[in-house]
Amino acid sequence: MADVIHLRERFFSMLKKDLIFRNPLRVMGNDHEDILPVGGFGAVLARAGLGKTSLLVQLALDGLLRGRNVLHVSLADPVRKVCLWYEEVFRNIAAQYDLQQMDQMWETLLPHRLIMTFKKGGFSVPKLEERLSDIAEQDIFLPRIMLIDGLPFEADDIAETLSDLKGLAEAYGLNIWFAVRTHRDDPVGEDGMPVTVSRVAGMFDVAFQLKPDGKAVLVQTLKGGKEEVPSTLVLDPSTMLVKNPAASQSA
Amino acid sequence: MIANKQVRNIGISAHIDSGKTTLTERVLFYTKRIHAIHDVKGKDGIGATMDSMELERERGITIASAATFCEWKGHEINIIDTPGHVDFTIEVERALRVLDGAVLVLCAVGGVQSQSITVDQQMKRYRVPRIAFVNKCDRSGANPFRVVKQLKEKLGHNAVAMQIPIGLEADFKGVVDLISMKALYFEGDNGEIVREDAIPDAMLDEAREKREELVDAASLFSDDLTEAILEEAEIPEAMILDAVKKGTLAREMTPVFMGSAYKNKGVQPLLDGVAQFLPSPDEVKNFAMEMTDEEREVALTADPKAPLVSLAFKLEDGAYGQLTYIRVYQGTLAKGDAIYNVRTGKKVKVGRLVRMHANQMEEIETIPAGMIGALFGIDCASGDTFVHQGMELTMTSMYVPEPVISLAIVPKDNKAQINMSKALNRFTKEDPTLRTFVNDETNETIISGMGELHLEVYLERMRREYKADVETGMPQVAYRETITQTAEFNYIHKKQTGGAGQFGRVAGYMEPTTEADFVFENKVVGGSIPTPFIPACEKGFRKCLAKGPKLGFPVTSVKVVINDGSSHAVDSSEMAFQAAARGAFLEGYNKARPVILEPIMKVAVETPTEFQGAVMGTLNQRRGIILGSQDEGPMCVIEAEVPLSDMFGYSTVLRSSTQGKAQFTMEFAAYKQVPKSIAEELIKKAAEEKKNVA
Repeated sequence: MADVIHLRERFFSMLKKDLIFRNPLRVMGNDHEDILPVGGFGAVLARAGLGKTSLLVQLALDGLLRGRNVLHVSLADPVRKVCLWYEEVFRNIAAQYDLQQMDQMWETLLPHRLIMTFKKGGFSVPKLEERLSDIAEQDIFLPRIMLIDGLPFEADDIAETLSDLKGLAEAYGLNIWFAVRTHRDDPVGEDGMPVTVSRVAGMFDVAFQLKPDGKAVLVQTLKGGKEEVPSTLVLDPSTMLVKNPAASQSA
Repeated sequence: MIANKQVRNIGISAHIDSGKTTLTERVLFYTKRIHAIHDVKGKDGIGATMDSMELERERGITIASAATFCEWKGHEINIIDTPGHVDFTIEVERALRVLDGAVLVLCAVGGVQSQSITVDQQMKRYRVPRIAFVNKCDRSGANPFRVVKQLKEKLGHNAVAMQIPIGLEADFKGVVDLISMKALYFEGDNGEIVREDAIPDAMLDEAREKREELVDAASLFSDDLTEAILEEAEIPEAMILDAVKKGTLAREMTPVFMGSAYKNKGVQPLLDGVAQFLPSPDEVKNFAMEMTDEEREVALTADPKAPLVSLAFKLEDGAYGQLTYIRVYQGTLAKGDAIYNVRTGKKVKVGRLVRMHANQMEEIETIPAGMIGALFGIDCASGDTFVHQGMELTMTSMYVPEPVISLAIVPKDNKAQINMSKALNRFTKEDPTLRTFVNDETNETIISGMGELHLEVYLERMRREYKADVETGMPQVAYRETITQTAEFNYIHKKQTGGAGQFGRVAGYMEPTTEADFVFENKVVGGSIPTPFIPACEKGFRKCLAKGPKLGFPVTSVKVVINDGSSHAVDSSEMAFQAAARGAFLEGYNKARPVILEPIMKVAVETPTEFQGAVMGTLNQRRGIILGSQDEGPMCVIEAEVPLSDMFGYSTVLRSSTQGKAQFTMEFAAYKQVPKSIAEELIKKAAEEKKNVA
């Protein structure tokens, strides 16, 4: 018997492929794979209010579209607020690509996302690992991509925390993205990164920085990615979505 | 009569089990309305006075918001005891509507829990100024300052401690009043003697520090106070009190009191706080809507001489007939007056007026503006507005959510049948979120409401108060049907069987819509369907919505567009076009990929962190999508979206998998498509039922 082709499923998978293909973040890494390797670390650096969380959520949505389970760990916002971020970014993407049946598409993504929030002082790697093993053992959720928003990089024991997280990432076959808040007067290291990050830069495979430039926000590559191609991405200030003006010009 | 300024209409609102009924009981004792104290689940078999219903007494929860009246240091206080369970929110909201201020009771151990958040949001919606009372300071693990912090962080209150506790847990002895800087101890058999003393030396530094915080916070609301601080002058108590009141009325500050109602400590200072910081009816702006002018908002004045505007906010069935609790917003309600029910347009005469104290009552002559009372022998529904004849004002309509769960009930015998209808008649009048109807096919009476517990409580009340023994079916979820794609229809209805014939053709398409449950658009041009028959077409389509062709559930979110058709000069009629529209609907519907929708609930489970995995497991087994988990120190909150049909009996499961330490709240989130396997089950079940009926 020939396989039945489910038009509806096919429609969604085509739509997802299309969205993945059109995602400007693609210029950051390989076309078909995660930007980060398994056990890899990526960082999004920016001052407050420039769009770290939005970029992080876009990275998460890219993963979700590719069928990856995404665990979003927030040390700053409650679950409800993180949910709102996702809904907002997804709505903007849907509007940008004139996506029909957005709700149904969203329903297919939702089961692949889990949000965990911790109080700033209440976060520790062993605690996270305990939670993770809790849900993994019951087969409730096995993340492939983890996002950590709000980890204090200025803390003295940050190197230790990161190295514990590295172990966790390798054990669970994850890659982790971090949102790193920088400050205007942070001293900058030789590699162009603020020293708070520079001292642990060795652990990161990829690092982007958001930098205001007039009305736009530039997405600069500090480390990794397709280094031969300088990033031309910007964040659209009205939607906070990543755009590639160079690509749209050439198109 | 006491001037309006001395009146306080307050609610005591809180999480279940934080001890609000005990607190109310103590308030009534200290205000000398009762002469003995009972506990909620009294060992002496007598429940607290506010829990007037036997059922509430048994379950240790408060269901109905009985209004009661007491006096404290020259102030008249009306207390509305409000239920704390989310299933009874209509009761809570109705109570909040008539309040001028509220006491938010929190447990010193449990702190701000998910239910407190729901209740607080409702208070915000009705703009109720509040003061907080951190109860159970005598329990082990009590930490009132953690609760103050949670008030700030979780509820966004500018919470400011008015007191600090003297000792905690088993050593809890009393409180230090930070305004008068005196220690207060509660002595006598029932703590009725308040003894003032100097602050213990060991606590002086802490008291000074907390007083400074209090004065700082209050100074935002008073220039005089700011000046006094800058000049480092002695700050008069009245100045602080005045500033705190300003902040509280603006809902920008929440004064926090502490104590243990059960141990008779800290209740009298809380009553002082009610009198000092919560508003009198004069200080609250109330609005009504002008019915004759597109519901324009009209400000009411708390003037007893102005024309009457009052709201019936609660009905109770007593031994002498229907008792209607009423709040007068403007004018005066007097015995013998003729008043006018805005909803029904009927004039009624006021018979007996009473002031309630839980189950006992006191006859009164008038209820002036700002006061709460009750009247006898008036037939009305809760939420009705009564005004002076000739006025067309109505109090703001209340938000009434759609029911999400229903249950078939069958009376056991003839007597039960009669009593059941009496009971349902009363309950649906009292509670608009409870609906009832008779299923034409099965001839069963169906009741529907906001949740399992909501229905259960009414069934219990039916048994106890009305002696109506009923058998219940399995709870039924309110499923819906809808279409998922556009489909065309072109249907001819033709009948020629002697006599006048019938002819009508309707063509067009239907598509999913998010605008409304049903949208009808007429794009017929050139009169292919004569204009007089268009309403008949719409009627025909509408008739199909009540019972969807797929499984008989109501159809929602469908847009029908008609763009062509034909008619016959003699044989076309309204009837013919209605029938043609029905045929067209069936034709299009089956092509439009109809699906079944089910109600999805937003569930929040609050559990100690060690049970987090177990709780997630229980939600996962119930087809739940776990949105996330939120760390709250020793507790965590798991948020999930779970189909209602899988939530039946969840409280038992949750209790057993968390040693009874977790609790959950749930509210309707959205209708979503049911998965294929469940849809197939439903279809099978529907087919079986059909067979049984046949």
